[in-house]
Amino acid sequence: MRESLDNMKSKALQDILSVQTSGELQQVRQNYLGKKGELTVILKELSKLEPDERRTIGALANEVKDALNEAIQLREEALLDEASAIEGSIDLTLPGIMPPSGGLHPITQMSYDLNDAFLSLGFEVFTEDDITSEKYGFDNLNFPPEHPARDSMDTYWLKGCENETGAKRLCLRPHLTGASVRYLQKHGAPARFVYPGRVYRNENTDARHERAFFQYEALIVEKDFSFASGQLLMNTILEKVFGQHVDVRMRAGFFPFVEPGFEIDMKCLVCGGKGCKVCKHVGWIEVMPGGTPHPNVLKAAGLDPSVWSGFYINIGLDRLVMMRYGVDDVRLFHSADLRFLSQFK
Amino acid sequence: MKVSLNWIRQYVDLPQDLTMEKLSYDLTMRTVEVEGTENPADSLRGVVVGKILDVQPHPQADKLRVCMVDVGKEEPSTIVCGGSNLQKDMLVVVAVPGAMVRWHGEGEPVEIKPAKLRGVLSEGMICASGELDLQDLFPAEDDHEIMDISTFECTPGDLAADVLQLNDVLLEIDNKSMTNRPDLWGHYGLARELAAIYRKELKPLPPVVIPEGTPAYPISIEDSARCHRYMGIVYDGVRNVPSPYWLQLMLWKTGIRPINALVDITNYVMLAVGQPTHGFDKNHVQKEIIVRTACPGETLTLLDGQKLLLTQEDLMICDEKEPMALGGIMGGIKNSILPDTTGMLLEIATFDPIGIRRSATRFQVHTDSAIRNEKGLDTQRVVQAQSVAHELIGQLFPDASITSYGDCYPVATPDVEIPVSLSWLGTRLGRSLSREQAAQALFPLGFQVAGSGDSLVVRVPSWRATGDVSLADDILEEIARMIGYENFDFIPPAISLEKAVNQKNVRTERALKEYLAFHAGMQEVFTYPWVDQKFITAAGIPLESCLELAAPPSPETAHLRSSLVPGMLASIVQNIKYHDSFRIFEMAQVFEQGATHPSEEEETLPLQQRSLAAAFVGQDARVLLREAKGVLENMPRLTMTQPIRFDQVEKPAWADRKAWLNALVGDSVIGSLGVVSIKASRLAGIKRAQAALFEVNVEKIVPLASRTNVYHPLPQFPLVEQDFSILIDEDTPWQRIEALVKNNVQKIQFIEEYRGAQVPEGKKSVMFRVWFGSDTSTLTSEQIEEKMNGIIQKISKKLGGEIRA
Repeated sequence: MRESLDNMKSKALQDILSVQTSGELQQVRQNYLGKKGELTVILKELSKLEPDERRTIGALANEVKDALNEAIQLREEALLDEASAIEGSIDLTLPGIMPPSGGLHPITQMSYDLNDAFLSLGFEVFTEDDITSEKYGFDNLNFPPEHPARDSMDTYWLKGCENETGAKRLCLRPHLTGASVRYLQKHGAPARFVYPGRVYRNENTDARHERAFFQYEALIVEKDFSFASGQLLMNTILEKVFGQHVDVRMRAGFFPFVEPGFEIDMKCLVCGGKGCKVCKHVGWIEVMPGGTPHPNVLKAAGLDPSVWSGFYINIGLDRLVMMRYGVDDVRLFHSADLRFLSQFK
Repeated sequence: MKVSLNWIRQYVDLPQDLTMEKLSYDLTMRTVEVEGTENPADSLRGVVVGKILDVQPHPQADKLRVCMVDVGKEEPSTIVCGGSNLQKDMLVVVAVPGAMVRWHGEGEPVEIKPAKLRGVLSEGMICASGELDLQDLFPAEDDHEIMDISTFECTPGDLAADVLQLNDVLLEIDNKSMTNRPDLWGHYGLARELAAIYRKELKPLPPVVIPEGTPAYPISIEDSARCHRYMGIVYDGVRNVPSPYWLQLMLWKTGIRPINALVDITNYVMLAVGQPTHGFDKNHVQKEIIVRTACPGETLTLLDGQKLLLTQEDLMICDEKEPMALGGIMGGIKNSILPDTTGMLLEIATFDPIGIRRSATRFQVHTDSAIRNEKGLDTQRVVQAQSVAHELIGQLFPDASITSYGDCYPVATPDVEIPVSLSWLGTRLGRSLSREQAAQALFPLGFQVAGSGDSLVVRVPSWRATGDVSLADDILEEIARMIGYENFDFIPPAISLEKAVNQKNVRTERALKEYLAFHAGMQEVFTYPWVDQKFITAAGIPLESCLELAAPPSPETAHLRSSLVPGMLASIVQNIKYHDSFRIFEMAQVFEQGATHPSEEEETLPLQQRSLAAAFVGQDARVLLREAKGVLENMPRLTMTQPIRFDQVEKPAWADRKAWLNALVGDSVIGSLGVVSIKASRLAGIKRAQAALFEVNVEKIVPLASRTNVYHPLPQFPLVEQDFSILIDEDTPWQRIEALVKNNVQKIQFIEEYRGAQVPEGKKSVMFRVWFGSDTSTLTSEQIEEKMNGIIQKISKKLGGEIRA
């Protein structure tokens, strides 16, 4: 009897460990400890034994009973911990539930990225009003009196003052450069600042031309600043935008408000400078003009050009964003079309 | 501008091993942008000379012929051709199989293959001039005429490009990159730059010696401010004949259509030295040349047939009787070179650039002449032009002679001398510079360097002295570009750190945008500052209150925005086609009549303030309004700005009469929000959707110096949460319920309101949640009961509300 008890115990323990569900476990409990369970049957037969043996076997049977109960309980806990929080099956390929999705305009994104980069170099951010005067848009910037950009064919003059001149003739600003004189007049030199914003040109629009577009301009004014230091500004912009070092070159360029003036090219990132369709087989892409502020501009800003010098760069943000993402129509930026705008995060 | 390298080589011996890439690169880096290069011969690779041996009718087609053509192979080729002028022994241009032809000079080269034409195999094509883009050199009487090159000395099988001398390198120069360089608008000027870059000699243009005793031609300049010099040379013994092929070819390659020898000479001179000239028929000029402004009522018919009604602003070249040419821009049709011309009065003159530009713009005649004259030419260049013209006339008309000559020269381009110090140049260049280095860079460009020690005196050549070079900084640029910008190493700028950048307004503007985009889930949009007046009217803004553009993009977009609401309405219309519900915002300046002086008193600008507008589009106006309100309510906390409260002060014109509020900071109204009225929606064209908007004046949002977080100790004892559902008069605002209950509880929160089934007419059901608690103990159920009863009684007594079962 002792033997059959031992056998049963080890068999029962095995059964308990091998069950995988709590249903099966209940069945095992039934099999051994239920009314007609194996152990129950043994216990019922105790009465047939001699009193001495009944005592020892009885004690043994109770030990077995406790051991089985304990094993069942442990197994039950283990099975519970292993169970899934999910009832039934789950499709893990279903899309995630998105937080409310908004976004900044791609031009704003680019502009903020550049602000961050320039802020790390100690530049301030300056904003000028959209409407300016001929004095600040042209006169201060060394544009000759008969410069074609002053025509109404090129610049949006306000009604009512078309025939005035200088500070009395108002327009939507044709570029950002006028803002530099405002800042310098107010804050003096030395100065380091950027001034992003929207500018306006009277032109016919198509996929490459817009009437309202964004520029990003940066200016350093320091004593005896060499143009060879100007590269800092270009590198800051291009590395931020393209996320990698970009080779640049400066070449001769003419703009009224700089002397010397430069066209700044970046090495084509598509072909690495070997020449391809994107760079028109030149290996370089014209990205921005720049240069040392013209002495007449510094004078307009109240600075002595024999003391102060500096470096401007001006980049077209629309074009940069178009290049960066392959956008093929500049008019999309002012379309307010969410199908376009929501692509940029 | 198109530039021929063969032409340049007449003036400078360029290095033998110079590649096209190198030349383009050097010119682009130092002087002007080379946008591309081409060889005109590339358009007809493998195209050969053919001799027609026999012409037979085509058995299947009336208009086609079957020709036997010697193309230099052992056997003649059979070629089917529709040419109307085919003749035996004619020399023609044949595109043989394997040749690569850019048809009409455009697109990619196409390979020629044998093809059957109406049953007859044709081994190539006999070309018409138009097909090879050579019609200007070989004009055809009609479309079916093939190109006849019988006058050329050549053998069948010779490459046509060689025979026609098409091999050259043409540089396409970006005109914009040389608007400031009047000296570069001719081959001689570019040759000078290349000579300087490659340290080669520029060949001089020999001056013309006018034979002694040559009768003086009477020239008078009445307005010397407008015309600085006028040289008139009469050549007799010339004729109106076609130019020799080489001259036609030079003009054609650089983009000018050959016309006749005399006109071609004037064009050649212009392309050579950048100095426009004009030829008059000597016999048509009555007595003398008078350069004067036009009298009111005078007219002139230009060479292109355009009839001008002249103004007193226009400078004319006249004879005794009448205006003959619009000075420096275009000649008149009556007195210029004519078919029977045998004597030419050649004009070489210098004009004031501004007057040229005004007249050219007034009459919209932007000729090659005007483009050059409006850049400002030096008076000394007249002599160069004279040299080139004289040599060419002698070459084309050996019997020609100068029979009369005049040079009225009231104003000479002044000498410009610029003092500049070597030390200053060194500092600004970022590298030290010796006197020799400076002279070496400047001299080949025509500058003379004098002075001693640290100070230089640089004398500017006349061709750079018309405005281009006038300052020490200009000299710096000349030296720097000649050293080559690529040869300057980057110098990190030295800076001094004084204080951190802290611009509250810049920070706030960005915080507002980022809050709306990232917390409120809204998309930023941009719209134009000029708005279709339909949307301005829809927003209830009087058009006359808006600023206007003098020359707007279109008549309906003449007004500038005084609010962002019209743009929001337009954006809603734009997007409603594709989306049922969306949220957008825009921040930009809006404009109002008014006066500001941002920089100086003299400059008066209108009021310009940043505005922020947002639109919430969907189906349920009540919800949209609450969403808009929620975004505004939450904004100050998340953007570090002063709190906003709401009240009804002044209804915005675009808002629904019931559903609107103003946003206030302190007592100052900073904006408004509301549901777009039915009328505004109708006028704007918003269909099948509702919208709520808000607009706030960003200038009135007050940034705080730092965050506004306040710490409350956490409750010691648990809070009890209870929901109430009350039935109350429909007009009772939530604000009153909240104010009433607030003091009885730790916290109160609105959950929802409900009208409709099971709620009597005139009533609404309002559900809210409250939290009770105590600082000293856990509340007992009796205490909770008591607090709840207190609330119920208050609501019933003060508001007449009752608890719903």
